[in-house]
Amino acid sequence: MSPKRAVVICGAWLVLITGLHAWLNVNWDVVLNDFRPPAQRKIVVAYIPVTCQLTCPVTDYISKFSENGELFLPRMFQGFPEIKEALISNKVQAAFIVAPLAIALAAQGVPIKVVYLGHRYGSALVVKKNGPVKIFRDLKGRTVAIPSRFSDERLILFRAMKVWGMKPGDIRMVEMAPPDVSGALAAGAIDGFVMGEPFPSQAEMGGYGRVLFQARDYWPDYMSCILVVQQDLIDKRPETVQVLVDGIARSGLWLEKGRTYREDAADFVGRYYYNQKPALLRWALTKPMDRVVYSQLAPRKADFDMVRDLMIETGVLNKRIEFNQYTDTRFSDQASNQTAWKYDPGLAAAK
Amino acid sequence: MRDEHATRTNLLLLWRPLAFIALLLLLWEIGIRRQASHLLPGPWGVVGGIVDLVRHGLLLKYIVASLFRVTWGFALAVVTAIPLGLAVGWYRRAEMALNPILQILRPISPLAWIPIAILWFGVGDLAAIFLIFVGCFFPLMLTAIDAVQSIPAVYVNAGRNFGLSSAALVYRVLYPAVVPKLIVGLRITLGIAWLVVVAAEMIAVSSGLGFLIVDARNAGNRYDLVVAGMLIIGIIGLLLDLGMQSLEKVKSFRWGYSED
Repeated sequence: MSPKRAVVICGAWLVLITGLHAWLNVNWDVVLNDFRPPAQRKIVVAYIPVTCQLTCPVTDYISKFSENGELFLPRMFQGFPEIKEALISNKVQAAFIVAPLAIALAAQGVPIKVVYLGHRYGSALVVKKNGPVKIFRDLKGRTVAIPSRFSDERLILFRAMKVWGMKPGDIRMVEMAPPDVSGALAAGAIDGFVMGEPFPSQAEMGGYGRVLFQARDYWPDYMSCILVVQQDLIDKRPETVQVLVDGIARSGLWLEKGRTYREDAADFVGRYYYNQKPALLRWALTKPMDRVVYSQLAPRKADFDMVRDLMIETGVLNKRIEFNQYTDTRFSDQASNQTAWKYDPGLAAAK
Repeated sequence: MRDEHATRTNLLLLWRPLAFIALLLLLWEIGIRRQASHLLPGPWGVVGGIVDLVRHGLLLKYIVASLFRVTWGFALAVVTAIPLGLAVGWYRRAEMALNPILQILRPISPLAWIPIAILWFGVGDLAAIFLIFVGCFFPLMLTAIDAVQSIPAVYVNAGRNFGLSSAALVYRVLYPAVVPKLIVGLRITLGIAWLVVVAAEMIAVSSGLGFLIVDARNAGNRYDLVVAGMLIIGIIGLLLDLGMQSLEKVKSFRWGYSED
């Protein structure tokens, strides 16, 4: 082989692999979106595959069948740190993140506003089935996984500890990526975990996990994931934010219409968005039906004040930031007039 | 008689690793059957996982995505780091000026750049390509510097004595003198690129073999796909290395290697 031939082969490989990638993997919709005039550009909404953010893929899926077409470009992430980085560098304009993270970011001066909630309830403390932990007090001195130091799951654990008269250091908390906790529990690497659905369901279905308590047992109106939007987008294109919030609100109402709707959502979200088994999502969404709730999703001051105070108390926030500094409720006020999507599975039309 | 002996040796060479792999697979299967919780897949489960990936058309897509990122990240590092390294190696003063900063940047794992890569490039191909570029740039540059500096002075002096112009000196003396070292450096660096792409894809993108592994973790109890992904990563890494080895067979590059 001569050097010239080696160069030709390398060049041909470069062209071939680039062409194949452009053909097989590149989402041209997203690429072209960056070249549209700013006013027509679709916003990118970030989410991770958990049920507290189910309204995001549901809205995307149903709106595709509606007259106006899809409302935004959904973008799946694998964890909150990456969403946070994409958000503060303005690579995504809206994102579903955990409420304490939003408060912390706002307190650090990141220009974002909370406009809506993802859901209520839907987090649980899971321990090993038939393991040594029978009641909450047995967790003393053991290890429990939480998704992030800025998570409602961590706060609910602190609330439960207070009720049982435990001191802050009595339970060892470790931060873990949600997808890993089920395996870690089964392998005995941790004694329990507090996570959002569908990970508690996964441990239950697998037969090695037992729900010790649901979030609502220690926190009556528990909320975890919320929708934040860049301040810049609110200032320049409030109507776009309204369309987004309306769509999310309508999906929440649609999910509350009954079991068949939730089962349908489990099916298409599992298949086309989360890449999770539909049976797993069906379990999380319907066993029982109020395991996850998609109503009363307008941001409420009392909820956020409580999260903020718990954050200060547990040392992850050092500033008393006020509700109206990091929320914008006009969009949820408007959205309260909305009705559920008129979409029936299989009709391929939505209104 | 000699030929027959040679074939037998060849067969033995081929059979020994295969037999060893078969033994490992057997031990794996036995180990899986003996464990109580059924989280880890056996060899058959992994084959099923690969078949699943092929059936959904994902395997080709993900392999192409990973190879695309490695190709571009590696190629960009090659076209920047090698000329720069050769120049720096040639001019002593440049090397003295740059060496400390190079030694500081070199030990930083490319994965430490992930947060910055996302801030600069968002999540997508560019962030992953950047991480691979960072991972390849420093080793390649140091190889190039070293390659120039270890050219025996007698080659250069001889070239000058024959009255070669600067351009001719580069083409007829320097280039052939550095190539064997560079090729070894390229081979090692491509291995690094393949290590980095898998890690980068776990965070910054939504396709590729690294993404396949995190996505399988998300999907619940699909550890067969995790192991299938690992296996495919290993096999492609082997093929890439074989491809780089074939560069060593290029005629004008060959002088630096001992005759077999």
